[in-house]
Amino acid sequence: MKLFTKFLFFSFVLGCISLSVFATGTTEKKSTMSESQNTNKIQLVVTASTAGQELELITEGCQKYMQEHPNIDAKILTVPSDSTDRLGLFMQYFETQSNAVDIFLIDGIWPGDIAEHLLPLGPYGAEKYTKDMFPSMIQNDTVNGKLLAMPAYTDAGVLYYRTDLMKKYGFTQPPQTWAELKTMAETVQKGERAAGNQDFWGFVWQGNAYEGLTCDALEWIYSEGGGSIVESDGTISIDNTHAAKALDRAASWINTICPEGVLGYTEEESRAIFQAGNAMFMRNWPYCYSLGNTEGSMIKGKFDVTTLPKGASGHGAAALGGWQLAASQYSDHPEEAAKLVFFLTGYEQQKMRAIKGSFEPTIASLYKDPEVLAAVPFFSNMLDVFNTSCARPSTVTAPHYAEVSKVFYSEVHDVLLGKENGKTAVENITLNIEDII
Amino acid sequence: MQNHILQKKEQKLAILLLFPSFLILLLVAVYPLFTVFQTSITNKTFASSSQISYIGLDNYTKLLALKIVELDPVFDEEGNPEINELTGKRVYENPTKVLPRKPNRYKEISQFDIFGHHFVFAGTDPDFILSVKDTVFFTLLSVFFETIFGMAIALIMVQNFPGRGGLRVAMLVPWAIPTAVSSRMWEWMFASTRVGIINVIGQFLRWTNGQFSFLTTPSTQLLSIIVIDIWKTTPFMALLLMAGLQTIPPSIYEAAEIDGCSAFHRFWKITLPLVKNTLVVALIFRTLDSLRVFDLFQIVFGQKRYSMSSFSYYQLINNKAMGYSSASSVLIFIIILLFIVLYSRISGGIGDEK
Repeated sequence: MKLFTKFLFFSFVLGCISLSVFATGTTEKKSTMSESQNTNKIQLVVTASTAGQELELITEGCQKYMQEHPNIDAKILTVPSDSTDRLGLFMQYFETQSNAVDIFLIDGIWPGDIAEHLLPLGPYGAEKYTKDMFPSMIQNDTVNGKLLAMPAYTDAGVLYYRTDLMKKYGFTQPPQTWAELKTMAETVQKGERAAGNQDFWGFVWQGNAYEGLTCDALEWIYSEGGGSIVESDGTISIDNTHAAKALDRAASWINTICPEGVLGYTEEESRAIFQAGNAMFMRNWPYCYSLGNTEGSMIKGKFDVTTLPKGASGHGAAALGGWQLAASQYSDHPEEAAKLVFFLTGYEQQKMRAIKGSFEPTIASLYKDPEVLAAVPFFSNMLDVFNTSCARPSTVTAPHYAEVSKVFYSEVHDVLLGKENGKTAVENITLNIEDII
Repeated sequence: MQNHILQKKEQKLAILLLFPSFLILLLVAVYPLFTVFQTSITNKTFASSSQISYIGLDNYTKLLALKIVELDPVFDEEGNPEINELTGKRVYENPTKVLPRKPNRYKEISQFDIFGHHFVFAGTDPDFILSVKDTVFFTLLSVFFETIFGMAIALIMVQNFPGRGGLRVAMLVPWAIPTAVSSRMWEWMFASTRVGIINVIGQFLRWTNGQFSFLTTPSTQLLSIIVIDIWKTTPFMALLLMAGLQTIPPSIYEAAEIDGCSAFHRFWKITLPLVKNTLVVALIFRTLDSLRVFDLFQIVFGQKRYSMSSFSYYQLINNKAMGYSSASSVLIFIIILLFIVLYSRISGGIGDEK
């Protein structure tokens, strides 16, 4: 081959290979940018997961916003329903400082950990919306004096129970203590099994080794008087006899009133068992209320909700959850993103979500709204629930909360498996948390 | 002389044509690998703007520090050894009191007895040590069974029988289904109530009480995931081995039959030596794949049980410890390298005629 021909061929091959590699390099959602530039629309991407009705209701909210603001194109990015998986996904966007997602639906325990990636909402007029919301939630979302997220819905752990089975077995009111819950569950389970339902269990909850177990275990421990793992002044309080007792008691439920598989359940698995009519009690979040009353549900009209049982402390405990909407620091349209956040967390949207999905609002006045109470009667008790609520120690352990939680739920899971007893577990938890913070 | 010049010209052309690919390879493979090595000697945090500083081999010492310490038995007030009522065994002191705390806390991995003395095996990162053990165990068992089943299927598939074409396609279905889909499918089959078909069958055969949780009981966790992997990857092994079997001329078998060779002898003395090279290639492929297993463990177990790769992933995502996670990735790379060297020694190199 002549030298010139060789050179041409060489450059052609190099060009082809480079094109193929680099052309596929930087596509993210903004590949549709040219499309939206043509139609002059601003595109905002909002995350929502397929857990319960979250996706459906956030989509509805976005569509309503698009009708009122024709220059905005709000798209939904579906994300995993497991909260740890979601965090993993969002962190990847933050690491690359990507502009691919504008609005994140974040867990109430994340603001401290991911503070530097969230847009402060104060400068965009958050004041007129935050004054109606629960102050403790606003405080949770304020890191170093800056408001980083708007509470979209709050959540507190509640006890679901079957009203028809209560009547059938002669119980007059839901269990007031954990001991009562165990006896009632045992009676009903024995009776139902004898009547032919081999798949019936007394009590289902979330026992998988993930963040949900931290919530369930915190409720047992706090109601027993064992503190909340790390107190607000930073002391690690978990190493006490009440906490150990609470964990041992929960371990005793496995294979007696709870299926062994509860060690693998997250929210959706436990809801599936209860909604199929195969459990007497369920600990879960309020979103299951609407779903349990949909057409075709086996338990439609046959269940109700109450506060979780009390322990030795004399009061119950409800783990405080709650999801917030935050705008990304790396968004191309911060002001529009902030406005959409305010809309989706506004009075109208929260009311819609309360009625259609039994998502608890973060605006106190909605708990007295007659339309909301007609759809979700148990909301009238919810203010009581919030009084017994217990927040996870996310702000006090920031930015290491994810690690602290993993340590806690791994040890609790080991106790439930029978690998160790409560006393060893709380000692290990203390030592491990000391190593982290 | 002419030949020599021609050869040199062709060599130069070859190098020139290979150069672009080599450049791309450098960019896409070597540069990221180098970045991982570099990050592993820092304390970089994921998705954070905190300062990055070089900390030398601290990450590696934290991952690999191991210790064996003897535990003394506990005596009660009269000087008699205490016995644990539940297990009937002697009670030994709590390892947490004996193991060193600084600079990194040693945590118990397991306890064992030798010659009447009781020891605790501890490390600064038990999760990592366990993940290595679990992954190696997973690899050994799954590759072993996949090879046996794959060979059996391949031997059948090279015979001529009606419906062979359709069966060959059906055989590949488990391999074709995306791992995310098939792991979820198996997760439901292993479900811990009678939602799971395996529990239903187990109850029918009186092996379980119908409520056994395969995926959270430590003794059955690994076996369950090995079953999923065998179902998924046996077609791959069968395919590779089939390719090797088809290179054996049938005349050899005919000659052996005439000489009165039994089926077993035919397999052992004729088939196996001739398919040896393909078998070695298939084994290397599968072993390296298994050692790198990530998707199965992440989807089915999450943070309940780690493989080496999912350990790295969760260190990165959950603990945001990018430097630490990179160090564990480098160690995984070295472990896999050891396996490659082992295979090369055992197989005596690919393509050697013996």
